[in-house]
Amino acid sequence: MSDTIHCFTGFGLGLRKEHHADFLRERQSVDFVEVISENFMACGGRPLATLEAVRERHPVILHGVSMSIGSAQGPSRDYLAELKSLARRIDPLWVSDHLCWTGIEGHNSHDLLPLPYTEETLNRCVDSLLLAQDVLERPVLIENPSSYVSFADSTFTEWEFLAELTRRTGCYLLLDVNNIYVSGINHSFDPLDFLRGVPADRVRQIHLAGHSDGPEGMLIDTHDTPVRDEVWALYAAAVRQFGPCATMIERDDAIPPLDELLTELDQARALALAGLTV
Amino acid sequence: MTLLQLQRSFLAEVAGDDDTPSRSPGMAIYRNAYRGRLIGALESGYERTRRWVGEDAFDAAATHYVLTHPPSSWTLDLFGANFPETLAVLFAGDPEVAELAWLEWQMQQAFAAPDRGELTAVALAEAELGERDWAGLRFGMPAGYQARTVSSDLAALWRNTSSSGQSSAELAPVSPQRLVIWRKDRQPHFRLLDEAEFAVLHRLAIGDSFADAATAIADHPEAAELLGGWLAQWLSDGLFSGFSVSY
Repeated sequence: MSDTIHCFTGFGLGLRKEHHADFLRERQSVDFVEVISENFMACGGRPLATLEAVRERHPVILHGVSMSIGSAQGPSRDYLAELKSLARRIDPLWVSDHLCWTGIEGHNSHDLLPLPYTEETLNRCVDSLLLAQDVLERPVLIENPSSYVSFADSTFTEWEFLAELTRRTGCYLLLDVNNIYVSGINHSFDPLDFLRGVPADRVRQIHLAGHSDGPEGMLIDTHDTPVRDEVWALYAAAVRQFGPCATMIERDDAIPPLDELLTELDQARALALAGLTV
Repeated sequence: MTLLQLQRSFLAEVAGDDDTPSRSPGMAIYRNAYRGRLIGALESGYERTRRWVGEDAFDAAATHYVLTHPPSSWTLDLFGANFPETLAVLFAGDPEVAELAWLEWQMQQAFAAPDRGELTAVALAEAELGERDWAGLRFGMPAGYQARTVSSDLAALWRNTSSSGQSSAELAPVSPQRLVIWRKDRQPHFRLLDEAEFAVLHRLAIGDSFADAATAIADHPEAAELLGGWLAQWLSDGLFSGFSVSY
């Protein structure tokens, strides 16, 4: 097992079924695609054949939503075994999931639920992540989710928690800049404090996405709109801080034509180039 | 409060019904997302059933299902697995609703089922089986294979619900029929079989040898001709993934 994930600089998109035909027809102007791991685990037929065909043209990242490293009961070993099987088949750039829990005691919410940032939670996440990395035989990237509640018991900030998680497990980070912005508004912290607080040498990927206005001044991470200006500004700050880094636009709903997302991705390229040449 | 206690309490609130209001706007966001995601999974998994019963009736059934069947799998794709049983209770006077839902569910499962091979007539012929081999010949079933008895005209109902907009056609009553589902060339298929053909195919599906399965129609005066015709049809349809010979 290699403990190192080397930097991969490039610009990619989440591969969604609305664009499968585009990607099967010809190589697209992306440096990688990211797929939701669960959509291709324990399956066959056209979905898996499509992924394998796209894999011949583009590097693939497996991005999961059900590892549930923060669950008090830890991740499912069956889940990890299925994920390992897919990873062996696809040979991804890397495997990623979220700093969250999705369920307990046989009840899966299929949502990225928030954690109290306490020593107990940290121990749980460390044990879960070490198990996952051991089963998968590779380090994992962990992404910061958007959250809508916080816990009075927390003794770490989210970025302190992530930093400690990387130190104790050797994991890497997938920073969702939109999620940092959304959670910053929802919990009244400065997104730049978040960027400054995570270990730069562990950041391997950045997600960009759109969000929507929620109740009582809150923001919701809906992934159904273009990236907003304030998130582009935060991305520019992230590029200046972390340097070249794999960057991806993540659209999960109200999926536009591929050309529209490729144009949006060009904006990320331009911002990254400007940030790196300042 | 331990992490486990906190998560039990949190999930109970997220998955709760409307009689227990959320404690904060943030918790309301999680509850709305939970219910919306699960109902959305049912809507996309049962598009034809929704057209048949209408949006309001479907959404009421979906909400009932979400509240009574917490998802347990790591994949959202399996959340709707028991929805046909719920529809059978909620639409007890309209058995075609649950049968259409079952067909729709199994067709989607077949679409993405783990791959298996496909046995062709050419491959079987090239095996040059001897007379003794045929007695011990057993077939593997293809990806997504499922079978059941239905009492509705599902072929007509499937055609009737294929396009957007609610269907309002009347269904003609039919006698109970046998239906099989499988995947060939990356597409799910279904076919209705008569009792005799199904009897033999079912015996093959549960692992009987070809000779043993043939006894299901031993009394039929044209058994040999029927078996030959069915076997050719099954091979053409891609209804076998492979074969083995054991005595």
